[in-house]
Amino acid sequence: MASLVEMSDISKTFGGSVALKGVSLELMPGTVHALMGENGAGKSTLMKILAGVHQPDEGEIRLKGETVAFARPKDAIAAGISTVFQELSLLPNLTIAENMFLGREPTGWLRTVDYRGMNQLARRALGELGLDLDPETLVSDLTIAERQFVEIAHGIKAEANVFILDEPTAALNAADVEMLNRQIRRLRDAGKAIVYISHRMEEIFAICDTVTVLKDGELIGTRTVAEVKPGQLIAMMVGRELKDLFPPRATAFGEIVVDISDFRIDSASKPFSLSLRKGEIIALAGLEGQGQQKLLRALIGQFHPVAGTVILGGTKIALPVSAASGIRQLQAARIGFVPEDRKDEGLFLGLPISHNITMALHAGQPQLAPAKPYRREIAETLTSLQVKSAGAEALVSSLSGGNQQKVLLGRYLAADMNVLLIEEPTRGVDVGAKSEIYKLLRRFAAKGGAVIVLSRETIELIGLCDRIYVMHANTLVGEMPAAEATEHRILDAALVA
Amino acid sequence: MPPSSPDRLTGMKPAYLKLLTGQGTRQGLWSLPLLIALAIALGLSLTAQQFTSADNLFNLITQAMPLIITAIGQMFVIVIGGLDLSVGSVISFTTAILALDGPAYLLIPAVFLLAAAIGAINGIVITRLNVHPIIATLSMQYVVLGITRILRPVSGGTVPDVVIASVSGSLLGIPLPVFWGIAVLLVAWKVLHGSRFGLHLFAIGGGIAAGMEKVPHNFGVAERRNILLAYVTCSCFAALAGIFLAGRIVSGDPNVGLLFELDAITAVAIGGTQLSGGVGALHGTVIGALVMALLANGMNLTNVSPFIQTTIKGLILLLVVGLQSRKRMGL
Repeated sequence: MASLVEMSDISKTFGGSVALKGVSLELMPGTVHALMGENGAGKSTLMKILAGVHQPDEGEIRLKGETVAFARPKDAIAAGISTVFQELSLLPNLTIAENMFLGREPTGWLRTVDYRGMNQLARRALGELGLDLDPETLVSDLTIAERQFVEIAHGIKAEANVFILDEPTAALNAADVEMLNRQIRRLRDAGKAIVYISHRMEEIFAICDTVTVLKDGELIGTRTVAEVKPGQLIAMMVGRELKDLFPPRATAFGEIVVDISDFRIDSASKPFSLSLRKGEIIALAGLEGQGQQKLLRALIGQFHPVAGTVILGGTKIALPVSAASGIRQLQAARIGFVPEDRKDEGLFLGLPISHNITMALHAGQPQLAPAKPYRREIAETLTSLQVKSAGAEALVSSLSGGNQQKVLLGRYLAADMNVLLIEEPTRGVDVGAKSEIYKLLRRFAAKGGAVIVLSRETIELIGLCDRIYVMHANTLVGEMPAAEATEHRILDAALVA
Repeated sequence: MPPSSPDRLTGMKPAYLKLLTGQGTRQGLWSLPLLIALAIALGLSLTAQQFTSADNLFNLITQAMPLIITAIGQMFVIVIGGLDLSVGSVISFTTAILALDGPAYLLIPAVFLLAAAIGAINGIVITRLNVHPIIATLSMQYVVLGITRILRPVSGGTVPDVVIASVSGSLLGIPLPVFWGIAVLLVAWKVLHGSRFGLHLFAIGGGIAAGMEKVPHNFGVAERRNILLAYVTCSCFAALAGIFLAGRIVSGDPNVGLLFELDAITAVAIGGTQLSGGVGALHGTVIGALVMALLANGMNLTNVSPFIQTTIKGLILLLVVGLQSRKRMGL
């Protein structure tokens, strides 16, 4: 049988980091093709290339045997490739119908929009998905699950041949998933090719025919679903050796410094408890977006949990934490929060290293106190972090990613924090700098600090931490000493729970 | 089971509430300025007998026409989260060109072509050079004002007869501007609320306001072209307003459009259009402009100080905009 889409030797780099290395993918008509891999394996990038959002650096795409190049998403849509992206992409101020037909509105006399026809078509498309929604409702009036379904109805356009569903079930419950599966089977039987990205093993085995596994931007293999077992797939997704990147773990711990109990992230999730001891580094592991970040952001007030008790260094703090003063409250308790996105949330790129480092020191001072230069602290931090720069007055934007990350950590180390809450300690950082950052964190813990880390890179969590909490569906589903953890065990704990 | 939840807040509201609060639509809160306009009109009809005379009402509409037209143009750029401060200068410039002593069949098209060119430059500077709309159009305001003053340092000259006739003439006892106004409203309504162009403007503005700038582009909306066309449209509406004013003052005046851009923005904002983009309705803008015209008219009739009029205008703007923050609108 001739393939519908053939992507061959696709490579793509973003800035310095390689997202895809020579990946090939073949989609047959009338099949559901699962795309699996850990977070950051390149699944979404590969699909965004097929959807025309990104352009490949190398490689080519053939559609029904003909080579095509999509410069814009519009080109891919015109070629019959229809996408439901992971992120919500509905405009809140447009109606359901307007969103569904954006960019390809049916027009009537003098290019005016044929609203009646458009609403009818939208109503029919929604009806096919079993949705009883008025197409003239504004998207801002929909619930999250409703938006997700509209998103799917949006992506599933009758005339397309290839459908890309990037984690379409993330916000759906089991009954909704079954409804979606019926639609996918209907499309498959109509001879369409469907790409299905999901982390849920049971979904893959329920509706997919073929599965391709990616890892670190490389193709690991393509198998027929009927011939593989879940364990084999997990092994394909993980299979790499631990490198000698990590410092030795701690042996003794002090008293509990962060105690979280009966914590509920949302009303649908189960309560859980966790604790952090002095000298310890703990990890919040699991698949991406399973509540790890919400937990940390709840502590600084950027997310409001449903219930829970949080004791920081012996003092109970009131939940929900105020968004306006949460960070200050934490800093007063000598707890530093290192956000995931250093460029947008963490650093002042246009200011020198010295300002970036002293920011937390100044934050501890009264508002109108004269600003001390803190020259000694800056010099000590730069030496201990081994930041490679033209000096303390160099702009942070001139540094490499690894050195920027060190400056960000340095801000909290200089401010003499007791506890660090760190999201993605080594995002976009090369291996050498990673190793140095791990050593820094371990040194911090050994001096009586304590750290909570969350990361998309499971291997990093295993190597760096002492204890690993696995989260899934906004709750805790497992706990293990890092020494006994493997990527396999963590994935297993997350997926089987 | 299709997903539906009982805690739906806005979707369940009855239609009249939707209309009154502006929720469930992207038309903005135009019912409030409508009530204000009606209240002013009612107050005036009770206190000033001349107010309800046909002459005064027609006069009111004729007086308001340049503001209504400028505000409608302004709305095209405010919907995409932009702003055009150059329209006042474009109005003065238009009157200066019309007073150039040439044949009307050349001057009138020339006015629109020049306005379109000014709008296009605004659009290009904003979309290609990534200059903030306020700065881009503020610069253009000065540039065009300077050129206007070179052309006509003080008011003078005569505009073509056809321009004067079409503003001061009447048909069946109804002044011509009323008919022009209706025609302009119909076209503007069709373009803004009926065409793909208009829908795409709302999409672009909604994307900007919701932090989803890339979404319209990802679905094939030609963003730059639409933004550019919005500024061209805005400029052309200003030129049309300039023609109206030229017909009324019969000459070219370098100062006639002074501060018109601020009145236009005020009218748009009073009418319920969100300055952050993506929310608003044409009738709201017309109501907003009428509120301002009613204030001016009423103060004249009742001999109230024009300075108080300015203060009241400011208070109404504050009240109306304060009551319609995005959050309150559920967006």
